[in-house]
Order: sequence, then C-alpha cells, then structure tokens
Amino acid sequence: MDPATSRPAVVIDNGTGYTKMGFAGNVEPCFIAPTVVAINESFLNQSRTSSKANWQAQHSAGVMADLDFFIGDEALARSRSSSTYNLSYPIRNGQVDNWDAMERFWQQCIFNYLRCDPEDHYFLLTESPLTAPESREYTGEIMFETFNVPGLYIAVNSVLALAAGYTTSKCEMTGVVVDVGDGATHVVPVADGYVIGSSIKSIPIAGKDVTLFVQQLMRERGENVPPEDSFEVARKVKETYCYTCSDIVKEFNKHDKEPAKYIKQWRGIKPKTGAPYSCDIGYERFLGPEVFFSPEIYSSKFNTPLPEVIDKCIQSAPIDTRRALYKNIVLSGGSTMFKDFHRRLQRDLKKIVDARVLASEARLGGEVKSQPVEVNVVSHPIQRFAVWFGGSVLASTPEFFAACHTKAEYEEYGAGICRTNPVFKGMY
Amino acid sequence: MILLQSHSRFLLQTLLNRVQNLEKGVEFDNHWVEFDDVRYHIQVSLKNPHILLLSVSLPTPPPEAIFFGGLPSGAIEAIKAAYGVIVQILDPPRDGFNLTLKLNLSKLPPDEGYKHALLVKIASIRETVLGAPLRVILKQLAARTAASNMDRRFAIVHRPNESFFLVPQVGKMMVMFPMRFKDSIDIVLATSFLQEFVEARRTAGLNNAPSCMWSPSPPLELKGAPAETLSANAGFVTFVIYPRHVEGKKLDRTVWSLSTFHTYVSYHVKCSEGFMHTRMRRRVESLIQALDRAKPELEKSKKTVLSRSFKRMSLKEGRINSDS
Ligand SMILES: Nc1ncnc2c1ncn2[C@@H]1O[C@H](COP(=O)(O)OP(=O)(O)OP(=O)(O)O)[C@@H](O)[C@H]1O
Ligand SMILES: [Mg+2]
Repeated sequence: MDPATSRPAVVIDNGTGYTKMGFAGNVEPCFIAPTVVAINESFLNQSRTSSKANWQAQHSAGVMADLDFFIGDEALARSRSSSTYNLSYPIRNGQVDNWDAMERFWQQCIFNYLRCDPEDHYFLLTESPLTAPESREYTGEIMFETFNVPGLYIAVNSVLALAAGYTTSKCEMTGVVVDVGDGATHVVPVADGYVIGSSIKSIPIAGKDVTLFVQQLMRERGENVPPEDSFEVARKVKETYCYTCSDIVKEFNKHDKEPAKYIKQWRGIKPKTGAPYSCDIGYERFLGPEVFFSPEIYSSKFNTPLPEVIDKCIQSAPIDTRRALYKNIVLSGGSTMFKDFHRRLQRDLKKIVDARVLASEARLGGEVKSQPVEVNVVSHPIQRFAVWFGGSVLASTPEFFAACHTKAEYEEYGAGICRTNPVFKGMY
Repeated sequence: MILLQSHSRFLLQTLLNRVQNLEKGVEFDNHWVEFDDVRYHIQVSLKNPHILLLSVSLPTPPPEAIFFGGLPSGAIEAIKAAYGVIVQILDPPRDGFNLTLKLNLSKLPPDEGYKHALLVKIASIRETVLGAPLRVILKQLAARTAASNMDRRFAIVHRPNESFFLVPQVGKMMVMFPMRFKDSIDIVLATSFLQEFVEARRTAGLNNAPSCMWSPSPPLELKGAPAETLSANAGFVTFVIYPRHVEGKKLDRTVWSLSTFHTYVSYHVKCSEGFMHTRMRRRVESLIQALDRAKPELEKSKKTVLSRSFKRMSLKEGRINSDS
C-alpha cells in the first residue's frame, strides 16, 4: 500500500484574497495567509543578457533571485519596507491569473509554511465552479511534475462548503452554496454532490468591493486616514465593525438619534511619520454590507440584489430539486461573516418566495392551496473557512484516496486526467 | 528562504497565540506532519488552558541507528537541559508517538525576550530530539576529547529508515550522506546540484565553510557498513567538520544544517524544477506569439478557431471560451 495514504492529506484552498492551508482531519487550517507573492525582479530581467555574469552579480549581492521571494503577510511587509520587491497576486476573481507566481506561492506554502515533503502526502486543492478544465490541467502539471505529489484531487469549492455541514447533522449534499469571498461571489446549486452547472449565477460584487465602498465613504466624509493606508484600514474597519441592518432608513435614524452608541473610533499610526491619528466610523458600518442587498448604492452596472439572484438561480434549476434547494442555502466565505447577514438573506428571500406563491394562488382563483415552501439559510461558526473545513472532512475519509488521481495515472495518461475528479461516497 | 528554519512555524504560532490568551479557555486539538515523517500532535483542554500536551513521533530508525526507549540517545538529557521546569516528559508517551511533553505555560519566564527565545526553542523540539546524538558527538569534537571513539562509525537517523554517518578522525569529523531520491528526474537534478554545490564551495569567500566532496560510490570510510546503507542513487556527500565549525554558538546551526541536509537538497531540486517550468512557459508563450505573427493575414481572422488546437498553451482563451 502507498505509505502516503497513512499520512493526513494536505488541504489547500487558494482564494483570491486568502489561502487556507492545513492537514486533513483538523477542524481549523494551520495558516490563513493573503494570496500574494513579493518577487525580487532586479535580477530576473538581466538573465537574458549573460547568465554567467548574472550569477556572479547575484552571488556578490548575497541573493538567489529565483529563491528570493516571500508570500502572505511577509510579502506585504517586504513590499512596504523596500522597493526591490514587486507584489503579484496570482489569483484574480477566483481564477489563477499568473502561473509563475502561483507555482512559487505553492512552493512556499508547502516548504516554508506547512514544512512538509510534497512526496509524502496526497493533496486536495480547490477551484471555483467556473474554472476552465485547462486550468485544472495546469494545476495538475505543476503538482505532479514540480512537486511529485503521489495523488491529487481538485474539488469544486462550493461542493466542499456543502460538505462542511457534514459532521453537524447527516450529510446533505443537496443545497445552494452562496460563496462570498474576496474577489468573487457565486451562487451554486448542488444536487447529490453534483454542481448544476447551467444554473450557477455570479455576481460582480464581493468582499473587495465592500472594502472599496467603505474606503470611498470614509474618504468622502473627509476622515483623516493616510492615503497609502486607507485600503487596509477600510478592510479592518469592515471586518471589525460592519453589520447587516434590516432596514436602511430606520438604521440612519438610529445612528442620528444615538450617535454615541453607534459611532465607533478607529485609532492608527501613520506609517511614514509614526504619528498617531484617529477617525470616526459611522454609516459605513451598515452601508458596507448593504451593497449585497441594494447594489445600486455602489455600482451603476449591476443592480440585482443577492436574494433575488439566489431565487433566480433556484428557479432555473430542475423543478424536482427546487424545494430541497430552498431548504438548504449554505453560506460560505469571509464576506458572509457580517452580523445578521443570514437573517437578512433569509427574510428577503422568504418575501420573494411567498409573493410568488401568493401570486400563483391568486391566478388559480384561490381554489388550490399549495404547500408552503420552506426557506432555510444555514449559517455556522466556521463559515470563514467552510470550504477548507469541508475539504478537511472529505480528505479524511478512506474513499478520498481512491478518488484521487495518482502520479502513476498521470504518467500513464497525461495531464488530461486532471480535468475532472469523481464525486465520491461521503459526498452524497 | 534559502535555509529551513529550525522551528516548526505552526507550533511557534500556536504557542505564541496560547501565551497571549493564557486566561482564555479553548479546546484545541491539532495534528500535522513535517518533512521526514516527523508528526506532531498538540492538545489544549478547556479546563486547563495553561497546560499544553505536545506529542512528537520520529522517523522509523534503520537497524544501524538505535533508539533507546523510543528516542535517540541523549534526547532526554537534551530536553531537560533545553526546557527546564516548564516541561515534563510523560511516560509512557501517547499512543503512536515517541515522546509526549506536558508544557506548563504559566511557568514561562516573565522577561519578554527570554520568553520568546524559549518558545522558539520549544517549537524547535525536533532539532533538540533528533539532533541530540549528533550534538553530543560534535561537542566532543569541539572540546577535542574525541580520542576514545576514534575510527568508530556512528549512524544518525534523519529520514524514515535512512541514516547518515559520522566517522571521527584526528582533529576532525567526517560526515557522510548517502543521497537517495525517488523520482528519476529528481535523481538527475540532485546529482548535478550536488556537483555544483561542491564546486561552489571552492569559490573564494567560502574558505571557512566545511570542505565537502561528492562521489558516485561510497567513500572509503564507510567500508564494512551494511550493503543497503551503501546504495544511494544520487551518490555520497562528505563534509569535513573541524572544531572551529562547532565552537560556541555555531554548534546549533551546524547540528541543524547537517540534520536537514537531505531536505535542503530536495527543496532546491524542487525549486529548480519550478524555475525551469517558468522558463519553459515563457518560451512556449513566445513561440506561440511567433507562430501567430507568422500566420498570413487571411488566417488571422479565423484565429479563435485555430487557437483551440493550442488549448493547453493559451489558457486565457480557453477560459474565455468556457466562461461565455
Ligand atoms: N469577520 C469578517 N467580516 C466581514 N468580512 C470579512 C471578515 N473576515 C474576513 N472578511 C472578508 O472576507 C474576504 C475573504 O474571504 P475568503 O477568504 O472567503 O475569500 P477568498 O476565498 O480569498 O476569495 P474567493 O473565494 O473570492 O476566491 C475578504 O474580503 C475579507 O475582508
Ligand atoms: Mg474562497
């Protein structure tokens, strides 16, 4: 038997904003690090001219350019303190955009963060439901050829988010996953572990947009935040103070009546001068998350509220799955963490559904009473890394190892095998 | 990163986190595996938030490297010397582990700098335990008291069922690594990496580093060792360590660098593979551009259809096609 199957699999969920990595069987990932690489390009560009001279130049400068890079928080810190490093974000809107940076990112995740030998572990990676099969082949190529992993499974992140509910009750692999991350929002219906591809809906608004909106609101009010720091401050403000309100007008009134209770203070230190500063946080506390429910306040191009998108998604799914889908709407991703987000979603969605039921009953002249539709938005404490947790649960079942593509299969059939991975027991 | 750090990043993160929230009770249970099959398990219970149970399992030793009571020789003494009162060794250890330590975080020293250094040291438990026998022998070298064990051969486990060897000689220590890799491409890359490595040692500026040699066949000093320890598909590396390499503070670094030499090479092999892939991707892209430019005008209008046959190469187009 392959000794690698006796070790826990490595589970890595690469998101646009954050990468969650760890070992299967744990409740929490070992590390959550920003998906970013800081590369020292000062030597890379010279390599075209003369390689020998370049080698010596590197040697005397005491660096090895191909190894001189950082990821995660270290990368952010490096780029802030020195101009020799350029930041590169390997993933954009849920899709790998720069494979060189991605490969380096994985290299550091494996060797420097998890510190494991990739030849010793099966790997579970995640991809967005819209990822092209070509991209999976690339991932497979890197994993099998560079890292020599013994086995690989590439899972759809929404399916994993559903599987995260697995341990709490019995495994329910039918439901709608509402994944709101940093760079992409997807509404993905899943029936018995299979994604209903034709019904997936995407929304061009996600966590980064909330941050940008908060930043914009604070800037427009003239808050005293140093410009080079304002995005980071907006993100922290968002993560600490934002919440979902039930009605904007009422919320404005509440803030105006009792400012002392609702207005918060942010204290920071200017990065350049080291001088302390402080600023107020007001309406953006509830206006930030409101972009999901009233997108017109933020974007002129997109104006369908999230609950309506979810409803459209379910209505476009096969008719025999719809009731089950309404019953199990699962939240996943960091940007669903706003307080009362699930309550608001549930209420708004229920309103839409009830209105439709009433309308159709009215059309039938009130003779036929239809059974009420149960709408249930599920929220759980590990929402922030539900995808990772689902991966951790699935990768610790014995069936996982059989469902992986192995290195031998890769060598026999080529990268094409990575285009799909079978749904396996434990998933349905 | 060019050299591996001696502490486990996750263990240190967990310890620091715990120390900062000492009063907050949490339920924590996590297990993970590092290179060379070193496994960790760490547990904190709600009832005793300042007590932390840390279990470590080590790579299975080959027959020539003996463990005493499940641990390399000198490990217990090393643990006691390094951690003092905050650590208690549980006997027997937890099932499936070689060692279980009970850490009492409330006994940490109050001084911040000292406390941090101690936590780093705890997070380097693997160096303390696995490096113990190596440390003892090298210390003797530093003290120049090694005369008694002259021409003996010591085997020190560093990977599952694999060890490296120490042979003391007058005033110096020969350290020999049989280098083995699984993948055929890795074997080739590692072999040439090692030859370059030996070459690089000869360049100016590295005169103080231990001298090193590479040979495809076992060095003479290993004559008489069991046959299976003498088969190595990427040859043998020998370092010559003098007392000046292990004096004072240098001892720790030398112990760690030697115990992780194989991982170091393997890591660099992977890096060069990644680097080559980067170059190859750039080359393919430039070739595709050249091909595109070479197409007669007429065909350019049909480009999207044609580029399907390059589906593996022009990924972006593939994505656009599938998104639409
Ligand atoms: N407590 C919180 N409240 C609100 N937002 C949060 C909170 N914690 C994290 N976020 C936001 O969630 C986003 C990150 O979420 P997540 O890690 O799920 O995204 P991702 O997986 O990196 O991205 P994607 O899934 O889009 O590729 C960031 O925008 C972050 O600011
Ligand atoms: Mg995500």
